[in-house]
Amino acid sequence: MTVLLETRGVWQRFGGLVANSDVSISVGRGEIVGLIGPNGAGKSTLFNLIAGVLPPTQGSIIFDGEDVTKLPAAERCQRGVGRTFQVVKSFETMTVIDNVIVGALIRNTKMRIARQKAYEVLEFCGLAARADKLAADLVPSEKRRLEVARALATEPKLLLLDEVLTGLTPVEAQTGVELVRKVRATGVTVLMVEHVMEIVMPLVDRAIVLNLGKVLVEGKPTEVVRNPEVISAYLGDRHAVGA
Amino acid sequence: MDTHFAQRRRRDLIVAACLAAIAALVPLFVKDVYVENIMVLTLMYAALSQSWNILSGYCGQISLGHALYFGLGAYTTALLFTKFGVLPWFGMLAGGAISAVIAMALGYPCFRLRGHYFVIATIVIAEIALLLIQNWDWAGAALGIDIPVRGDSWLKFQFTRSKLPYFYFALALACIAWLVTWWLEDSKWGYWWRAVKDNPDAAESLGVVVFNSKMGAAAVSAFLVAVGGSFYAQFVSYIDPESVMGFQFSLLMALPAVLGGIGTLWGPVLGAVILIPLTELTRSFVGGSGRGVDLIVYGALIVAISLALPKGLVSVFSMLSGRKEAAR
Repeated sequence: MTVLLETRGVWQRFGGLVANSDVSISVGRGEIVGLIGPNGAGKSTLFNLIAGVLPPTQGSIIFDGEDVTKLPAAERCQRGVGRTFQVVKSFETMTVIDNVIVGALIRNTKMRIARQKAYEVLEFCGLAARADKLAADLVPSEKRRLEVARALATEPKLLLLDEVLTGLTPVEAQTGVELVRKVRATGVTVLMVEHVMEIVMPLVDRAIVLNLGKVLVEGKPTEVVRNPEVISAYLGDRHAVGA
Repeated sequence: MDTHFAQRRRRDLIVAACLAAIAALVPLFVKDVYVENIMVLTLMYAALSQSWNILSGYCGQISLGHALYFGLGAYTTALLFTKFGVLPWFGMLAGGAISAVIAMALGYPCFRLRGHYFVIATIVIAEIALLLIQNWDWAGAALGIDIPVRGDSWLKFQFTRSKLPYFYFALALACIAWLVTWWLEDSKWGYWWRAVKDNPDAAESLGVVVFNSKMGAAAVSAFLVAVGGSFYAQFVSYIDPESVMGFQFSLLMALPAVLGGIGTLWGPVLGAVILIPLTELTRSFVGGSGRGVDLIVYGALIVAISLALPKGLVSVFSMLSGRKEAAR
């Protein structure tokens, strides 16, 4: 399996706060990788560094064989990095399909084709029936799916999902899991930040645990959840002894 | 659903063509010079507001300094004509081009500002420009420029005997501004602008270069407003800094769009058709009774409309069509 994304010794400091310290991870083509860790572990910061929202203080990010460390977000999208936001950022005054068209336009210059493509993506994500509704009128779970649809419309090689399953009902979350599997089946690599362990563990091929800005453990989900260090990071040292 | 969208676009175009045709016929029945004057101004403000709407409505960068581009258009045309004998038609294009370039030069630092800070910057820059022109002797300083009358001709774009040619030009300008908006609305730029307005971070993550999008909107918007300014200079044939670059122009460009429906295709037209005649009528009928009464009436009306229809007057139409669809 070839490597699609690699971070090499990435650091991010905000003033005195170190959000990421010496993070080196890699994601192979076609994988679903879970990025987990307690609150404040630096997951979102790492996500933003990979998506190009801000450049790392130190280190480099290699995507698809190219050093993209200094490229801004729009440029990375062009190269095949798609993302969703933890706090949904729909274009509220636009219709659902128009939201997705914005994403589709990066690969399709003809409006008619972009619209067609957007509609297909909506069907794929199960939102086609809501195409002409305003994004503001969607319920929260639909807004999450719209985030995914918008990112998919940019035809990414790597899809970054930032807590798309958090805060959903079990049924909604299950639909979400199926959507992620479907996405991977189309050949898209997925890196997802998630909190809900019992949903995410059966889904991912590999889990990377961040704690206090560092990579704590990585490996198969079944191994990771039994790891004493992981348990102690989540629940405190007392519980780790028992494991 | 695809055809539904195409149908709406076509319907807009047909309605616009019909309205333009009706407007073109009005002068055949109305011979009153006063009314003609109001019609010319209404069409001009419809065009200006439509152009303002591109940057401020679609792209969400609220400018209260568009008087700058209006004045630049007026001054470029007038100066080129009086100093170098350049025909106003070329002056119009030159004014548009200069304005577009200046809009981008100003956008370069200003588009890094967000929200209120951007609005304040636009006001301040327009005021600075006004002061500069007022103190620029070669350009007539505070006295302004008298455009010499050289007889009626389309070539020199001067008409002293009848206002009709101005009316048709203003109508054409309004149609062009509308068509440009119509065309942009379903283009890559149109989608990018609305995305930038709604959420710049999300837009950037989808490959939209936010900064360039704003620059593009500013250039198109400034160009069209400057052409309007050029037209106004020819129409009134005398310009001075206050009368083409005063703050009131910035407001009069913004108000029709805001009142009609900001960021919509029909908002500026609808707003101008209601607002401009109202301004002129309140001025003629109650303006004489003491300074300010017309403005009070005018202001009260704007407050009433914005309270009743915060999304603008166009929302009445979507409410009506929504009801129709619900009834089916």
